Amino acid sequence: MATDKTQHLQQVLETHRMAHIEKLLDKYKEKRQEVKEALEENYKDKIYNPINSGSYAKHTAINIKFDLDIVVPFKRNSFDTLEEMFNDVFDFLYEKYKDVAEVRKQKVSIGIIFDADDNGDEINIDVVVGRELNQDQYTEDRNLNLFVNSQYGLLDEKTYIQTNIQAQIDHIKGKNNERSIIRLLKIWKTTNNESYKSFFLELITIKAFDKESISGNLWDKLKSVMEYIKENITKDNFTLKDPGNTNNDVADTLEDWEKANLSNKMSNMISNIENNSDNIKTYFPINEEFKEEEDENKGQYGLKDASIVAPSIPNKSQQFG
Amino acid sequence: MKIINSHKNVSLEYEEDLILKIESLAFKHYPNEFGGFLIGYYSDDLKTLVLTDVLSPNEYKSHRVLFERSAEGIKEKLLELFNLNEKRYYVGEWHSHPDASSMYSLTDLNAMQSIAESETIRIKNPILLIVSINNQKLKNYTFYLYDNNTLFEYGRK
Repeated sequence: MATDKTQHLQQVLETHRMAHIEKLLDKYKEKRQEVKEALEENYKDKIYNPINSGSYAKHTAINIKFDLDIVVPFKRNSFDTLEEMFNDVFDFLYEKYKDVAEVRKQKVSIGIIFDADDNGDEINIDVVVGRELNQDQYTEDRNLNLFVNSQYGLLDEKTYIQTNIQAQIDHIKGKNNERSIIRLLKIWKTTNNESYKSFFLELITIKAFDKESISGNLWDKLKSVMEYIKENITKDNFTLKDPGNTNNDVADTLEDWEKANLSNKMSNMISNIENNSDNIKTYFPINEEFKEEEDENKGQYGLKDASIVAPSIPNKSQQFG
Repeated sequence: MKIINSHKNVSLEYEEDLILKIESLAFKHYPNEFGGFLIGYYSDDLKTLVLTDVLSPNEYKSHRVLFERSAEGIKEKLLELFNLNEKRYYVGEWHSHPDASSMYSLTDLNAMQSIAESETIRIKNPILLIVSINNQKLKNYTFYLYDNNTLFEYGRK
């Protein structure tokens, strides 16, 4: 029997919800808080309040691969150079956690992978260290300079990158349709071992919704976004501006051959799924671990907060026709 | 009245008086559309939703084939209902279709999707009620349950 594509994709999204791993998520949040407090305690008035960022803050996280991110905004005069700042934070975190975690330098962040606990849960926290662009301006403009530890597309000659993480978070606020598609593409990339950056998939999905008229059911929307990627990614003038710094073109993180490859993959996926709807299960698999849990919820009205009926407050205007 | 949603295998209960109240609100705005918020509570096992009342929006735009309700001022009213001894919740939306069927439109589906996915909405299956009226009477009405981007109709057992 043919697979109902939209119904399948709904189940894919459902079984990959973060709500399924509430207990693990609590452990992550606890660790994140601990790291935040340690940084605040050590750097005191050298930093502004650390903020949460990353996919969880953007509501695009999936439960098979995620970390929690903290952004630590340093004041302009805290260090002479960005490299010195980055290394100082690394040294501090390394000393503090070396016995209980792997602490490593990444492109623009410091990764802390805590050793698995008794339940086998490994906690990953990414610390992004930034310095305000202009003295005392961070609270006004949120602009930060990050130290770049290795190649990042066209920026391979640079040792820093200007960004605005708040603007990146704001860029996706309220975009519920886009979030569903971003989560599906992240599930595709994770389960099919694709190396595309989540941020790239996020920006190209938002751009597709901006440029095209995307509507219909979940499959219609996903297909439209995949078609947009297929048609546009290889165009010479195609850009993906980072909302945190419009001088950064995230499309440039891919080489030309990688773009052609991506376009072909989208084309094959669309035709394979249209030719045989069962193929959708290969590209977008259900998270079997939580399938039963979803089935058990049949026979009940669904709540987002476990079994607690919390008040729901509509917060924006809605049109009905 | 008790009706069943076979997709989710859950039921919905309401009194005829509530439909009369909704009918009267819909007639008051005929030939334009009108609508508002559905209020109710869930049974402990979450198998049954009991509708108890409706709240009308403080601000709205009403046209023949379009109804836009604002959320202005509704938070306070809903928190008041939540703080009652017998808690009452926002459970969904209703609106009228003057001189048209009680079938939902794409605009309705999009609105319900946006509602269900909103962070401030803590229920996964908001309800949509559409009442079909003409200049003389309430012709028909249909309850829908929203689940995963789709609206599923309730029916009699």
